Amino acid sequence: MMPIWTKSGKKHAVTLLKVQDCHVLRYVSKEESGGKKAKLLVGGKNVSPFSKPESAHQIFKEAGVPRKQKVTTFNVTDDAIIKPGTPLYAAHFRPGQFVDVTAKTIGKGFQGVMKRWGFKGQPASHGQTKTHRRPGAISTNKASKVYRGKKMPGKMGNIYRTSFGLKVWRINTIHDIIYVNGSVPGHTNCLVKVRDSKLPTCKEYNKNPPFPTFFADGDEKLPEDLFDEDIFQFTDPSVTY
Amino acid sequence: CRASGDGKPAKFQPPPKPVIIDKQKQSVERRFLSPEFIPPRGRTDPLKYYMERKDMIQRRKVFNIPEFYVGSVLAVTIADPYANNKSNRFVGICIQRGGKGLGATFVLRNVIENQGVEICYELYSPRIQAIEVLKLEKRLDDNLMYLRDALPEYSTFDVNMKPVSRLDHEDIPVNKLQVRMKPKPWSKRWERPKYNIKGIKFELPESKMKEAQKWSQPWLEFDMLREYDTSKIEEKIWKEVNEGLKK
Repeated sequence: MMPIWTKSGKKHAVTLLKVQDCHVLRYVSKEESGGKKAKLLVGGKNVSPFSKPESAHQIFKEAGVPRKQKVTTFNVTDDAIIKPGTPLYAAHFRPGQFVDVTAKTIGKGFQGVMKRWGFKGQPASHGQTKTHRRPGAISTNKASKVYRGKKMPGKMGNIYRTSFGLKVWRINTIHDIIYVNGSVPGHTNCLVKVRDSKLPTCKEYNKNPPFPTFFADGDEKLPEDLFDEDIFQFTDPSVTY
Repeated sequence: CRASGDGKPAKFQPPPKPVIIDKQKQSVERRFLSPEFIPPRGRTDPLKYYMERKDMIQRRKVFNIPEFYVGSVLAVTIADPYANNKSNRFVGICIQRGGKGLGATFVLRNVIENQGVEICYELYSPRIQAIEVLKLEKRLDDNLMYLRDALPEYSTFDVNMKPVSRLDHEDIPVNKLQVRMKPKPWSKRWERPKYNIKGIKFELPESKMKEAQKWSQPWLEFDMLREYDTSKIEEKIWKEVNEGLKK
């Protein structure tokens, strides 16, 4: 995470996400998947093919791509279908867009009710006998049962969570890095899924993206760094009011 | 030689020019790499630190961040939308330099009209318009937070102080000042060996000093897992930063 300043002098914290060897692996049509929209399987980071059996390499061989560590699905409309095997770059997103980031949260193991659910626990003194971090009562007398989903101790973390509506401040086309506002679930160097935001307030900011994606061998030549209009670029002199 | 002359007046031979051997230049040139360039020990991808360094070098090309240490007196002007001239100047002694990368900060302390004031500035913030080093010197410690519990005379600096001139090739002077403290209680127990402070003149009784040594951890200096040798990293970063600044 890194600080970033706007032209008015305000500071925002920013997370750097690197797009590492992303390829489109397969196209699953609407009828095949049985859902409402077509799907595209996309694979991330390259990894050695020797740790999995040959049967697991089927998808990668069809697309002509080395084995990937993670395969995710994106629901796409029919006009945004991409041919399997095309690489995806950071320039797929543009500064000023809003983005949802999904990742597995940091695993905390088996945790008690105070850390996992934020319960208040009991006082440290004034006669408490061996009860300082326990949940206390778990249901009422009338219910005469414990409801499903009752907050209790258990394994915490290591589940998929999404941060919604994160602004993209800057894109580096050479190293394929996206600078995303705020924090993102997951530990450092973990795999993360970045998707156009589905929040209704972000619809107008997400218009005119590179559609269906940014093709590196196309005609468009992008500069090394793409900045949002509000960002203070370090080539400018200091801010004055 | 005149005796063998032709009778004409001898041509004026100017005396040979004295050859000055500057012994100071022969010594190793002093290098200063700002501490925020050195990445901390961790599992982050070095690419992240490389991208930050590029931004830091870019900022240094446009705006001059001078060399300074904890204990030097600085004057900082920042852009302030609510001030009269839209800018604000503060003079103070640097008591702490923290943070790595673009978020590096330094804290300046001064006593203005009997009120101690500490302001934490970000080195790479675009609101900073000028940083002048009024007095460049080092102190015996890396962290002068104990000045909060010292007598206020050690933290007062004249706001209209003139910059102290010094030669480029001289070593940075180390001010071996031993500061006198206000009576206890202090904000932290500075006599304890954990803070390792050399710049205080402790006027505490011997028994208190001995009791403070109970909290010493003499095994810490031999702990190999805590060693972080930055010499090779510093060499690489020094070359990178210099090349970046020359372009």
